[in-house]
Amino acid sequence: MRGSRTLCLVLTLLGPTGAPVAARGAEPWNIPHEKPVTLKGRVVDALCHLKGRCAPDCGAGKRQLGLVLANGAFRLAAKSNIDFAGAIPDLIGYCGREIEADGLLIENPAITLFFVQGVRVDPQSPFIPADRFRSQWEARHGKADEWWRADPEANRLISENGPFGIRGLAPKPRP
Amino acid sequence: MRKSMFAAVALAALLGPAAAQAQTAGKRVQVTGEIVDTWCAVTGIMFGLGTAHHQCAVWCAVGGIPVAIRDKDGQFYMVLKIEDEDISVASPKIVKIQSHEVTVDGELFERDGVKYLLVDKVADDKGIVNLTHDEHGVVPFGE
Repeated sequence: MRGSRTLCLVLTLLGPTGAPVAARGAEPWNIPHEKPVTLKGRVVDALCHLKGRCAPDCGAGKRQLGLVLANGAFRLAAKSNIDFAGAIPDLIGYCGREIEADGLLIENPAITLFFVQGVRVDPQSPFIPADRFRSQWEARHGKADEWWRADPEANRLISENGPFGIRGLAPKPRP
Repeated sequence: MRKSMFAAVALAALLGPAAAQAQTAGKRVQVTGEIVDTWCAVTGIMFGLGTAHHQCAVWCAVGGIPVAIRDKDGQFYMVLKIEDEDISVASPKIVKIQSHEVTVDGELFERDGVKYLLVDKVADDKGIVNLTHDEHGVVPFGE
């Protein structure tokens, strides 16, 4: 009985070849169609993988990245654990390498997104939280409680045309 | 001849195994829709469209979240390249046209539930036409 349970557990964790397995650490966000998963695959640059137009070092942080799984499926990493930030800083150091990424797979009928919450190379090690965007941003700009309100490029664009993106159109004053 | 062979080998070594991958062609398409922050527009965590969400769309694009074109049928086309820019993380060209209604010509690759678009040309840019701020204000945070 105990043996068959163990076998069941092992098979559940492994899953069919290349298929995502249920994640243990991913935090649910209650997003429609979300599913906690651990994806195991090779980190690739999306433009290189799909079109064959490649750049050194997977684009050196300037291109969207994803994982090619053992079954050939491609999962683009759309978001990290940092608010308003992608997962490129968390993946770029693993360009061309096999990793495990823990997170939420959101299979919306309109588009599938993968929200990365942690990454690791060694399956025995804990996941490294997908939050490198913050440290990289702070190294460039200094500490800020809300990076998005302190980002010089975002602020430049928003100050040009306002928060609605149309010059002269301003939010109503708060009562 | 020898020099060019040496250059090709050196380039392949520089690019790594990816360089061996042949260029493939996608389907030629023209797409019309709003440039959106894929995360907010898809997840519905916050209202992700038009003027109300413009500021947030800029934050997300600058933060490297992938940008997509959402057409009138609600289909999303994730942009991996725009015109002469192979950059798709905080691309200055894409960040600048957040929330705009555009018509683009490009190459489409469909893979595992995602439509990926390589934009060759922005054929038309109507600016921001989806006026959602009267109903929603500034989303998120109200300011």
